[in-house]
This record gives sequence, structure tokens and C-alpha cells, in this order.
Amino acid sequence: MTAHRLAVERLSLRVGAFALSGITFTVAAGEVLVILGPSGAGKTLLLETIAGFNRPDGGRISIDGEDVTAAPPEARRIGFMVQDYALFPHLTVAQNVAFGRRFGAASADAGTVEALLERLGVKHLADREPKHLSGGEKQRVALARALAASSRLLLFDEPLAALDAHSRGQLRRDLKDFLRRASVPAVYVTHDQSEALALADTIAVMREGSLAQVGTPSAIFNTPADAAVAEFVGVETVIEGKVVAVADGVARIDVGGRFVHAAGILTPCVGASVLACIRPEDVALAASPQSRSSVRNQFPARVIATEPAGPLFKITLDCGFPLVAYVSKQSYLELDLANRGEAVASVKATAVHLIAR
Amino acid sequence: MSAGIIAAPRAAQPPRGLALAFAFAAALLLVFIVLPLANLYASQSGAALARVAAMAEVRSAIGLSLAAALATTACAALLAIPLAYLLARSAFPGKPVVEAIVDLPLAVPHTVVGIALLFVFGRTGIVGAPLEQWTGIKFWGTAAGIVVAMLYVSVPYAVNAARVGLEGVDDRLEKVARTLGAGRWAVFFRITLPLASRGILTGLALTFARSVSEFGAVIVLTYYPMTAPVKIYDLFLQSGLGDSSAMAALFLAITLSLFIASRYLFRERREPGPTPAR
Repeated sequence: MTAHRLAVERLSLRVGAFALSGITFTVAAGEVLVILGPSGAGKTLLLETIAGFNRPDGGRISIDGEDVTAAPPEARRIGFMVQDYALFPHLTVAQNVAFGRRFGAASADAGTVEALLERLGVKHLADREPKHLSGGEKQRVALARALAASSRLLLFDEPLAALDAHSRGQLRRDLKDFLRRASVPAVYVTHDQSEALALADTIAVMREGSLAQVGTPSAIFNTPADAAVAEFVGVETVIEGKVVAVADGVARIDVGGRFVHAAGILTPCVGASVLACIRPEDVALAASPQSRSSVRNQFPARVIATEPAGPLFKITLDCGFPLVAYVSKQSYLELDLANRGEAVASVKATAVHLIAR
Repeated sequence: MSAGIIAAPRAAQPPRGLALAFAFAAALLLVFIVLPLANLYASQSGAALARVAAMAEVRSAIGLSLAAALATTACAALLAIPLAYLLARSAFPGKPVVEAIVDLPLAVPHTVVGIALLFVFGRTGIVGAPLEQWTGIKFWGTAAGIVVAMLYVSVPYAVNAARVGLEGVDDRLEKVARTLGAGRWAVFFRITLPLASRGILTGLALTFARSVSEFGAVIVLTYYPMTAPVKIYDLFLQSGLGDSSAMAALFLAITLSLFIASRYLFRERREPGPTPAR
């Protein structure tokens, strides 16, 4: 398969009082860009404009270098995944997958309908009606349907939003597996931060019709571009790392020379890329290392900044990686954090939440 | 009509006194609807039915009624679906006016419809005269006139039921279909129309039922050739209640069986399984 690439340049569109403006990003083949933003930010409008349902007022959209700004949706060869995946209820699974075929959009490299059903593990469902499928099966059939039409870009508009938390997690993992192996760029719209962290190679934070920040998940969460992004994504520390060892259910994660230990429900395999997430209220600060402590993670840190945050104080630390802690007023005064340049941060291994990448 | 499209939440059990009063009123209404028709059959003799069934004029009148109603239903399908689609899918200025116009035939007395149509489609009518001159098609005293009269009074049913059916089609299915390479026409014929088919067919069944039973508008525009309702009236004038009620019973048997068959064919199919979330 040829590698595909999406480029959006200075896209603008006015709809009533709302406007998309100055939207620029690129997504490479196999890359997942998550557009993260609160509802009303214009995420769906942007996605539907990329799909071709709205003609932008300005800017350019190109796929594989081909300008598609003025092309209708049926000429763009885009897989469009909406909530609950919108399988055609009057057609069987096989007919759903074959739907795009009759319009000449399919090229030889897409493979036969049967081969696609096989590849996605839903061949046994070929003659079923969509209403009898589980959420995971629907997702696979929708992906097969998009591939059968030779889609060179996949767009996702909160496809998992209607599901319960358990199925959502499962489908997210399935989807991530699929997207990692797919050779098409993907744009995924969501308001859910954990979804963004789980799926994104790159996150674009969207607010009031424009992109406030585009960057890696750790860049977005640890170094938000402005107060509004910070407020939306929260203050959770997100660190990229690689699992170097797993023993007794505790994973040792290399985060650029430092090591973080995580014990949780998810025990990843050695070599896996993960995001380690630490909530600021789970970080404790001390003046010196606690030698008899059972806490696995102890990081000598430089104090970068302190600021009051409600009844607590928010302390920004540099441990070789960025870390944010909330401490009580009492600790703040005892440790004299206002004047002290250094402290030891400790985090229980069970408080480190891992997201597989 | 398509009761399944809007799933009403099950109401709480009404209080006992209310339930009884309502059940009584409901039973009264059902008896009011069914009794006259049942009585019509009870008062017929087999011999009278056989006699009118053997009359050539009766047979041709019934045949003409069914054929004209069928032609009307076909015309209604062609004309009503596009309008229903626009009403279901787009917002435009003056939409309430268009909706009112669609319902207008329901509010006009049928003899008034007939007279109004006569001025338009009659021999000297503003449409009838030039059409007859150029194409030879006549609407006065022909089957074409019967169809025009039937169409006018029945088309609101076709438009409104098709609209409900079309509104029930999730527009995201149409969007997905377009990204899969289908143009607007292909999406309409392969996605929208099949998914709205039950609403549309329900509307067309009502259109047929309304057409086949039309009397007032038809008799003004076209007394001859006689449709079944006109022939029943004619028999009543010529030979009194005997033959006319026998023919009424005969004709009713045919139209009722068509009505029941269509209710059965287009009924809500309840199947287990989750309904798609919107």
C-alpha cells in the first residue's frame, strides 16, 4: 500500500456566528491525530469539512498531495466513522463492507470483501444483520467497510461516546491495534482526555473554532500552551516511557534516564511504549529521601514554581521529567517550599496509571 | 400510521375509575365504527350478493375503481416522495406554508374539490382545454378525470406518511454512504429510500384506500364511466336500497381485504436486538 498523508492549511469556515479559523496540521500515514476539545469547540464541523460536507471559505485540504478542498465527499476516498459506527441496517455485514465497491472507489490493493472480513476477524458474521452485532464487531465491520472503499484517510467522530466505560476501553484497545498497523492517517475527535491519551500520537487541543495547541500527549498535558489549555486538560502529569522490566506485577519504566515504577491493573510487556500518568494529589513531598519508606518512586526534584490552588498549593517540579504536586498548606509551610529550591517527590507505584501506546 | 417511529414511554397505570370510563368510551367508539359495516353484511342475502356480482356494470365499476386507485397511488408515489424528502430534510423559508398547503385537501369538502377541479381540468378549464387541444387527453368523463379527483383528495396521506418515514432515517447513514463513494442520487436510492420504505408504503396504502373510497370529487368531475361508489349511488337512485346495499357489501369486502392485507404486510416487525442509538 502507498503511504497516505493529510494536510490541512489555514482552513477557515464561517457558519452563522461560529467560525473555524486558521486551522493547520498534517497527519502522516499511520499517525493518529486526536482533536481534543470541549463540546461546541467545532470539532465535528472541522471533521465534516475535511470529509467534504462543507466547503471551506478559505484554506486548503490535501490528501497525498492532491488538493481535495473543492471535491465532494464521494470523490475523497475517506473512511468516516460516526457514533455507533452507522452500519447500514438494511444490509448484511458483507453487503455493508461491499457498499463502496459499486461506486468504483475501490482499487486493487484493498483486497476482496472476504479477505477484509477475514483480516478484521469478522468473516463468520458476513451474513448477519448489523443490529445483532456487539459494539466491537460493529467497529470492525465499519473499519472493513472503509478499507473496502480504499479509504486513504480515516475520520472518527466520537465513535465510542455512546458505550459504557468497559466496552469503550476494549474497543479503544482494538482500534489502537488496528490504527498502529494501518498505513492511513487518522483524525479522531473526542472531548474525552483518557481517549485522547490512549489513541493519540499527536493531540490538537481545539477551542472556539481554532487549534490552541498541537503536540505530543506529554507536551500537551505537561506544558500546556496557555491557561485555557491547562484548565481543559487538567494538571495530571503525563510522561512518555518504555517498559524495561516487569516483576511481581510492578513495571519499571524508563522515562529518559529516570525510572518510574507502576503497579496497576494493566501489566504491559517489556519493551512496550506507555504513558505514565500521575495525579498531582498522589505526589507527596519531603525534605529528604525516606529510606524506610515502602514507596517505590522517590525522585529528587527541583522546585520550579509554587502557587496557591484553592485550599492546596500547586508545586511544579523538575525531576528530570516534569511533575506537578498538590500539597496542603501545612506541608507547604513546614517544607518552606516558597524558599526551598529542592525536595524529594514520592509517588506510590499503585498511583501511577499506565496507558499503553 | 408508523407508530414505531416515536416510541412513547409507557405511561403509569391510570387510576381505576379513569380506566373504566376510558375503556367504556373506547368500546363505544369501536362499536360505532364496526357495527354499521357488520350490520351491512348481516342484512344481505347470498342471493342478492350473487345477483349484483353477476351484473357487468357492477363488475366494470369495481374494476375501474381499483385500476384508477392504483394509478392514483403510482402518481402519488412519484409526486409525494420528492416533496416529503424536502420537508423531512431541509429547512427553507415558508416551510409552514408548504406544510399547510399539503394538508389543504383534507379541509376542503369533496364536492367543492370536484367543482374546483372541473374549472381547471374540465373541457373549458385552464389546464383541461389546452391539454385536450394538444394531446387529446380529456379529464372530463374519463379515467384520467377520476385519477385527478382521487389524487387531489388522497395525496396528503402519501406526503405526510412518507415524510415521517424519511425523517426516521439517520442522516449520518447518508453521510457515511457518501464518503464510501456514493453520490447524492445513489445515497437516496440505496440508503434513504429503502430505510424509509415502511413509512412510504404505509402512506401509499392510505392513499389507495382513500382513493378507492372517493365519491364526492369523482362524481362531479366524472359521472361516467362509473366508479364503484358512483355506481352504488346510481343503483340507490334507480332501484333502491336492495341492489345498492348488496353492491356496497361486495365492494366493501374487496377494499377491506386489501386494507387488511396491507396492514399485515407493512406492520411493525418487532424483533429482538438493540435499536440503533441516535
